Amino acid sequence: MEYILHIIIILNIYILLVLSANLPIGMSNLLSVAQASFYGIGAYLGAFFLIKFQLPFIVIALFTMFLTGVSSLIVSFASVKLKGDYFVLATLGFQMIIFTILYNWVEVTGGSYGIADIPHIQLFGKVEVTGVYGYFVLTTFLSLLIIFLFIYLKQSPFGRIIKAIRTDEIAVAALGRNPVSFKILTFFISAAFSGLAGMIYASYVSYIDPTSFSIDESIFILCALFIGGIGNVKGPIIGALFIIIIPELLRFIGLPDAVAANLRQIIYGLILIIIMYFRPQGLWGETVLK
Amino acid sequence: MLLQFLINGFITGILYSIAAIGFALVYNTTRIFHIAAAAVHVVAAYIFYSTYHILGLPLVLAGIISTLLSALLSILCEWCVYRPQYIKNASINVIMISSIGLMTVLINMVAMYFGNETKILNNNIQATYTWGTLIVTHPQMLQLIFGGIFIIIFVFFVRYSRFGLRINALSNNPILFETLGFNIYITRTYIFALSGIFLALNSCLSAYDIGINPYTGMPLFINAMVAMIIGGVGRFDACILGGISLGILQSFLVYYFSANWQNAITFLLLLLFLFFRPQGILGYKKRTV
Repeated sequence: MEYILHIIIILNIYILLVLSANLPIGMSNLLSVAQASFYGIGAYLGAFFLIKFQLPFIVIALFTMFLTGVSSLIVSFASVKLKGDYFVLATLGFQMIIFTILYNWVEVTGGSYGIADIPHIQLFGKVEVTGVYGYFVLTTFLSLLIIFLFIYLKQSPFGRIIKAIRTDEIAVAALGRNPVSFKILTFFISAAFSGLAGMIYASYVSYIDPTSFSIDESIFILCALFIGGIGNVKGPIIGALFIIIIPELLRFIGLPDAVAANLRQIIYGLILIIIMYFRPQGLWGETVLK
Repeated sequence: MLLQFLINGFITGILYSIAAIGFALVYNTTRIFHIAAAAVHVVAAYIFYSTYHILGLPLVLAGIISTLLSALLSILCEWCVYRPQYIKNASINVIMISSIGLMTVLINMVAMYFGNETKILNNNIQATYTWGTLIVTHPQMLQLIFGGIFIIIFVFFVRYSRFGLRINALSNNPILFETLGFNIYITRTYIFALSGIFLALNSCLSAYDIGINPYTGMPLFINAMVAMIIGGVGRFDACILGGISLGILQSFLVYYFSANWQNAITFLLLLLFLFFRPQGILGYKKRTV
């Protein structure tokens, strides 16, 4: 039972991550490969706040989300200034710089040793969320909340404008909306929710190290997003579900551990190639990446 | 001492230039963001390892086999993944995502078969050549000689041969190229083969020096890409300038600063170039669409 709950918790975290990756990539067509860096920034900031201050969950979450959002300004600056491949490169650069900082700034981030003994989240006052059950309830609640938030966002004026930016940025500017501020907001929201996911992950696992937030993690998130589909809300959820469930199913086939990890990656890669050829919008997506 | 770092940086730079040429051949002509180049690099290193270390073939023969097989692999990447997407007129980003998938598949197949650990090709202490205070190891000497020769051949090849002209034509305007009666698929196949050869060359030269593991592909790929951007997109000789300056810069960073921050500074440089001079040192300004 606890095993299933654990999987659901991880799934909820990934739903958060993939949904927030969908916002810039799917909704406004800005292929960012820096999603894992926001996840990492959120995890480290969250860990820092949780260790230093005994504040309720909501305060820490808001702080973490805000600061992670601020860190996304560099990427949104790049998205305004650069187009196409160059933007992808800039986000890649950002991802690698953040990873190097997490890995090498030993005094603050603990370097490759990471940060251990991160305390649990405290809800209002002194109610501590502990154990698998507590986190199961918390993350399920949060991911449902955020799924509804994204469904709302998608049909709100904001969502319609960023979808319009996806289709034709110049037309949006000509109709009197400023694409720059919408891009900044897109990345801010996306980074903030990735940061929230990172913070929950840090407190749930209670140990973080930089390798969880490397470029491979970014690629993993992209895999989930593109397998599921981009541009709407159900696509990313399906993607997260797919990418979390597949390895657990493989576990039951009884492969040796040494092979299982690699085989899983091979399956993801093959599925990605096949999906990109036959169904570039993903299993349940709405648009094709331009 | 300074001179020693300069020469080390120069040799690393030559390796970067070769990889950058391998990547730029594909990127400049087809606009494919060939991330699977990282995987071709890794596969080439393991072919070299199996022929040289396990089968015990002579060094040069192992290198040639590895180079040819990687050219084949590179062609297979084009035939199986990129060409179908090109025929479907898929967008550049979609092709890039497929390329990520391809890289994941290839690298993990290698890791599954050979294991994740680092493998060293020669265990003996490397022979060195000394001139005064300068020390160059035997693998470095090989890198300098082979790398230099191939780069010079390549520069002349691109500039003066008929095929080099075609590569330039394709990178300038693929539609016009096709309209004038050249077969775009055949040219692309040759380009991918050439790219595989350069990637494998880099791979063999560095594998002989520092050994191999399945995850060396991505860092090298990223460095090569930075070298290409710094030098200038759209020109092949710019890759060489970019690679060598990147190598020397990294080497001096290690000398004056610390090796830990080498990557961060490389990427800071990349970001600075992207923001302020996206066409690179030698490139000419053109609009990105």
